[in-house]
Amino acid sequence: MKQQDIDDLRQLIEFLKLHGVAEFDVDRGDLKIRLKFNQAETGPSNLHDLAGLLRSAAPAVPAHTAPPAHHAAAVAPAAPGPESAEQEVHIVKSPIVGTFYGSPSPGAEPFVTPGDHVEKGQVICIVEAMKLMNEIESDASGEIVRCLVTNGQPIEFGQPLYEIRQRS
Amino acid sequence: MFRKVLIANRNEIALRVINACRELGIPTVAVYSEADRNSLHVKFADEAICIGPPRAADSYLNVPAVISAAEIADVEAIHPGYGLLSENANFAEVCRASNIKFIGPPPEVTRLMGEKEKARQAMKRAKVPILPGSDGVLATEEEAQECAEKIGYPVILKAKAGGGGRGMRVVRNADESPNLYRAASTEAANAFGNGELYMEKFIENPRHIEFQVLADEHGNVATLFERECSIQRRHQKLIEEAPSLQVTPKMREEIGKTLCRCMGEIGYQNAGTVEFLMDANRQLYFIEMNTRIQVEHPVTEAITGVDLVKAQLRIAAGEKLSDILPAKLEIRGHAIECRINAEHPQKFTPSAGLITAFNVPGGNGIRVDTAQYAEGVVPPYYDSLIAKLIAYGVDREEAIARMERALSQFIVRGIETSVPLHQEIFQDAGFRAGEFDTGFMERLLAKRIEDEKQPA
Repeated sequence: MKQQDIDDLRQLIEFLKLHGVAEFDVDRGDLKIRLKFNQAETGPSNLHDLAGLLRSAAPAVPAHTAPPAHHAAAVAPAAPGPESAEQEVHIVKSPIVGTFYGSPSPGAEPFVTPGDHVEKGQVICIVEAMKLMNEIESDASGEIVRCLVTNGQPIEFGQPLYEIRQRS
Repeated sequence: MFRKVLIANRNEIALRVINACRELGIPTVAVYSEADRNSLHVKFADEAICIGPPRAADSYLNVPAVISAAEIADVEAIHPGYGLLSENANFAEVCRASNIKFIGPPPEVTRLMGEKEKARQAMKRAKVPILPGSDGVLATEEEAQECAEKIGYPVILKAKAGGGGRGMRVVRNADESPNLYRAASTEAANAFGNGELYMEKFIENPRHIEFQVLADEHGNVATLFERECSIQRRHQKLIEEAPSLQVTPKMREEIGKTLCRCMGEIGYQNAGTVEFLMDANRQLYFIEMNTRIQVEHPVTEAITGVDLVKAQLRIAAGEKLSDILPAKLEIRGHAIECRINAEHPQKFTPSAGLITAFNVPGGNGIRVDTAQYAEGVVPPYYDSLIAKLIAYGVDREEAIARMERALSQFIVRGIETSVPLHQEIFQDAGFRAGEFDTGFMERLLAKRIEDEKQPA
């Protein structure tokens, strides 16, 4: 590893520990990292906080669970402070509790991938609750920036699902 | 024992159940609305899942959201607490269909006790004394008069379709009966579109006495004595105590035996409370049954040494009462509970907002069940209970002294609380002497208005 990479990694670890993150994966093509902290150090997991942290630190979605289409941008070092990826970005949040699926059925093409344009009202994913597959509609029009969750992930009410960059 | 339990509730009772689970080594899952994100029950559970926006109907009462949370967290059982979904037979059925154990009685029993008339009939068959009444609607004034003669005056006429005190008249003798019948019927017709009336015996200034029952899933039933809850305002309990000064050992034993038999007959399981009115002759009359753990359960825990919430968990996990309860249940000492509400102590207006100071009393004989803390927020969407203050003593006198001491040390700033009201009640000579009934609060508040009118 280059010295810069080691420094970046050290800062990333400090940042993650500070915010109580339990697990963290990154795959940058040339570099693959998996970090797992002891639960005692970080406290009980909170799905919502983790999603928020992932957003502000602009990391990649864990590579080992996401379908190929969901590979996102490279890691940005966390240290100077969280990147402001928030301008004009609308977060689609889950209106229900359940399990997230990005495709209509296992093995099928995902509803949307980063770069796709979506219209308000368009179905972008499924949240399964009590054996019912609920189609989740986008509440904004724009370009999918990234998916914030992974297939099969438990989802709570209000959980951020997708970032959409809205056309002004 | 369960490998994971979800608590379908909030506030102090959610924390109470989490505590019991923790002590039994059961991992817990809390559910919360967006308004309760920083609640203690969320912080102290092993996992927490947001299930909806602030409104209870969209979150805590939202059955699909609660069940979905239970599924994604892979829980084995759900404890419903009190209020909310705890007496919702439909919810208990959905739990059963979803292969999740509902910690409470079977849905059929919840449904039976939830229908007032059916519950009365079930109790009557089991020879539990019930409030005498007409069998259904009274078609004419003559029928009303006949019924009253049979029951014995005073009686109360009530609207079949009604509530909220309208279409109700107390009849004290045969002469006033026809007029009052007509008046009640007209009022009911105007208020509810239905003038049909039924009749019940009217108890002047009753006391409210309730009995705690526990039943396992093997047909065993036990009663854990009574609580007196006569200090109420508008049917909301303010103070509860155990035991009741009015219940003699003989009464206790008789009612205990009757209830054990009755609960066995209806197939009751888990914790429950049977509520009675007591008249001036110490006669008890069944009014209703609550098929859940009650707010005031700590006073029973104090005098029996039995942890009722742990008992609920253990019963639901299949354990027998003989392994949960001591061989001989006895009353030791006296306990009183004050429900501390976030309300103005005189105006009774709810007081939501940010708590800036929260000093909870402690010391010998004091227990506080609360989910509030300094810099916590009381949200405006739910009930106003912020803490239960329980005082235990070797007798009622010591319990009172401890309660007064504790009330004076319960400092809350940032919101209004009922602490000053409770202090006022404890200074009342009638209360201290144990002389009160459900009319106590009305008289106290009326007297306060009178006193304010007097020139200083």
